[in-house]
Amino acid sequence: MNQSICLLGLNHRTAPVEVRERYALPDVDPRDQGLIAAGSGVKEAMILSTCNRVELLTVGREDKDTAREILRFWADCCGGDVHELQDHTYTHRNLDAVTHLFSVASSLDSMVLGEPQILGQLKQAYRSSVKQGTSGVVLNRLLHKSFSVAKRVRTETKVASNAVSISFAAVELAKRIFGDLSNQTAMLVGAGEMAELAATHLLSAGVKRMLIANRTHARGCELASRIKGEAVLFAELFERMAEADIVISSTGATQTVIQRRDVQSIMKRRRNRPMFFIDIAVPRDIDPDVNNLDNIYLYDIDDLKEVVEENLSQRKTEAAKAMVIVQEETEKFACWLRSLDLKPTILDLLAGGERIARKELKKTLRRLGPKADDPEVSQALETLVLSLAHKLYHQPLDFLKRRAQEEDAGARYIDVTRRMFNLDNEPPSPDAHPDRRKPKSSEE
Amino acid sequence: MNLTETLELAVLALYFLGAVLHILAVLIRGPLLRSGGQIATLLGFGLHTADIGLYMARYGGDALGHGPFYFSLMAWTLIIVSLVLNWRLRMHFLALTSLPLALIVYSFATTLPSMEVILPESFMGLWFGLHIGTLFLSICLLAMAASAGAVYLFLEKKIKGKTKITGLSKDLPSLSLFDQVNAWAVNLGFPLFTVGLLSGFLWAHFTWERFFSWDPKEVAAIIVWLLFAFLFHQRLVNGWRGRKPAKLAIWIFALSLVSMLGINFFLETHHSFQP
Repeated sequence: MNQSICLLGLNHRTAPVEVRERYALPDVDPRDQGLIAAGSGVKEAMILSTCNRVELLTVGREDKDTAREILRFWADCCGGDVHELQDHTYTHRNLDAVTHLFSVASSLDSMVLGEPQILGQLKQAYRSSVKQGTSGVVLNRLLHKSFSVAKRVRTETKVASNAVSISFAAVELAKRIFGDLSNQTAMLVGAGEMAELAATHLLSAGVKRMLIANRTHARGCELASRIKGEAVLFAELFERMAEADIVISSTGATQTVIQRRDVQSIMKRRRNRPMFFIDIAVPRDIDPDVNNLDNIYLYDIDDLKEVVEENLSQRKTEAAKAMVIVQEETEKFACWLRSLDLKPTILDLLAGGERIARKELKKTLRRLGPKADDPEVSQALETLVLSLAHKLYHQPLDFLKRRAQEEDAGARYIDVTRRMFNLDNEPPSPDAHPDRRKPKSSEE
Repeated sequence: MNLTETLELAVLALYFLGAVLHILAVLIRGPLLRSGGQIATLLGFGLHTADIGLYMARYGGDALGHGPFYFSLMAWTLIIVSLVLNWRLRMHFLALTSLPLALIVYSFATTLPSMEVILPESFMGLWFGLHIGTLFLSICLLAMAASAGAVYLFLEKKIKGKTKITGLSKDLPSLSLFDQVNAWAVNLGFPLFTVGLLSGFLWAHFTWERFFSWDPKEVAAIIVWLLFAFLFHQRLVNGWRGRKPAKLAIWIFALSLVSMLGINFFLETHHSFQP
């Protein structure tokens, strides 16, 4: 391999937030800013810049010190100091870089293990690099591969399953009680930040209606207009609570606001339709005895925290399984990288041709019946089909050899050839056009 | 082996396969296995229908007086009720109860010695349709309600007790869906049970010139009806939901089983299946 992959980055583990902010690289075009230029060792580049990490992924010439070039470019872009930046960055080269990227895409390197946000950010970063024209054969392949690795990790492990935030845990529990949330009404009692977050999650999970009861009505109205809910007067709290299936309480009251007898009378009016109470206030807003009523489910902040902590520990166990997948996929990518040299591609192409020729020969010999027993006939036919196969590949191979001598085009043409003849035996991606999902084998 | 025996064996094999595939689908979370289980169930149900059709064609109205035929018909009704509930409520989970239960009941039908209950000719159609048909349907609905109720209680205990929901419990549908099965069973089952009971009394009146004869089966049926009526009333008038109707449905179904198997086989009754 005469190209090398280099990944330089900093993240929440290696740099404090002020450093991450100072060295963020949003909307930077590596070509415009001179990272990819004549004489530079960098040929392809992509920049991922999120609040928790900034990473520069490049493909360049093996004989150049691309890491130093990247570091200088990065410090220049941010008006920072190379030495300070170096103190907070990590560098991964070649297959280490591939493994790291696959781990990032699969959210194994995230602050919240398994959170899906990073994959979307990575896709966005890749789209930008395609738009800027800074991604080439290797990056294209590497990024597409990282998306499919992330998908495989999500499907084959439980690293992304189970809620790991209080509000997601509440939404999951609500689904367990009511199933579909699209017909449910939720009520916020108190309009704190946590309640608002839980409300947002419930709304995105499909809750039909949101009522907001706050002691300061104006604040309730303000929140209601922001989340498209309905503000209700605090004095009408229990009257309107009968309409709610899910109640999230987060008032700053020092004593419990919702008592067992209040809920009992609400349940009569609701004809026992179940209610889910989420008490995220400290000290608690809801009398714990409410949980003993039929068709009432009460979870306080400690109960939800426990759910979240158990889920997080389960994710950690699953992360080990996910790393095995990442290693496997890195190996596969390494094979592909090696195949970008001309020789393996020529050998694979000829071997593929010979395989088809021999298959057809076998069919023909079967059809010939007893005539095929003559060794001279079978020998002649074999020579014919094999030389035909080799001759058919002669022109494409000749073309490929010439292109391979051109520095920038070689890898691209080799990659196209491998894909055209499906030399890596890859199944079409699940989102491919239906015609591609059932490819007609060239051997049939 | 004649055609009937071959059919019976095929039905048993397909219901068995369906039950095993459904159980495996839950254990190893395989949607393909579940589809396989559904196909096996539908095939089994098709052959079972053919088996019932052939039996009716061979014996005509007399088939209605044959004990094994009752059990075959009960298993058939159980499958159809679970298929309808699955279609309406998307409760694949019910197959886990209906298939093994249908398998047991159908095995009964194939192993019971052929015995005949003497029925008055003029009431055969009416008696069969109203008395047996409606009672079968309501008992099968009760079976579904009882199994959904058992799972409801299990899941509810976990949610109320704030225990971690892992493994099989994670794949269970929501509590409200299990409660819906109970609502279906009660709203449909109770009127059907009432029709079944009334038609039975009417039939008794025409046969023995008395509506009620303190037969153990009749007494058990009245108790079941009273409990069922209580459940129906509480659901409809007082808005019972969740735990209480789930528990009561289990009790009523258990009592129906005792009445059907215990009394019919072991006690002196004019509903006896003893030859």
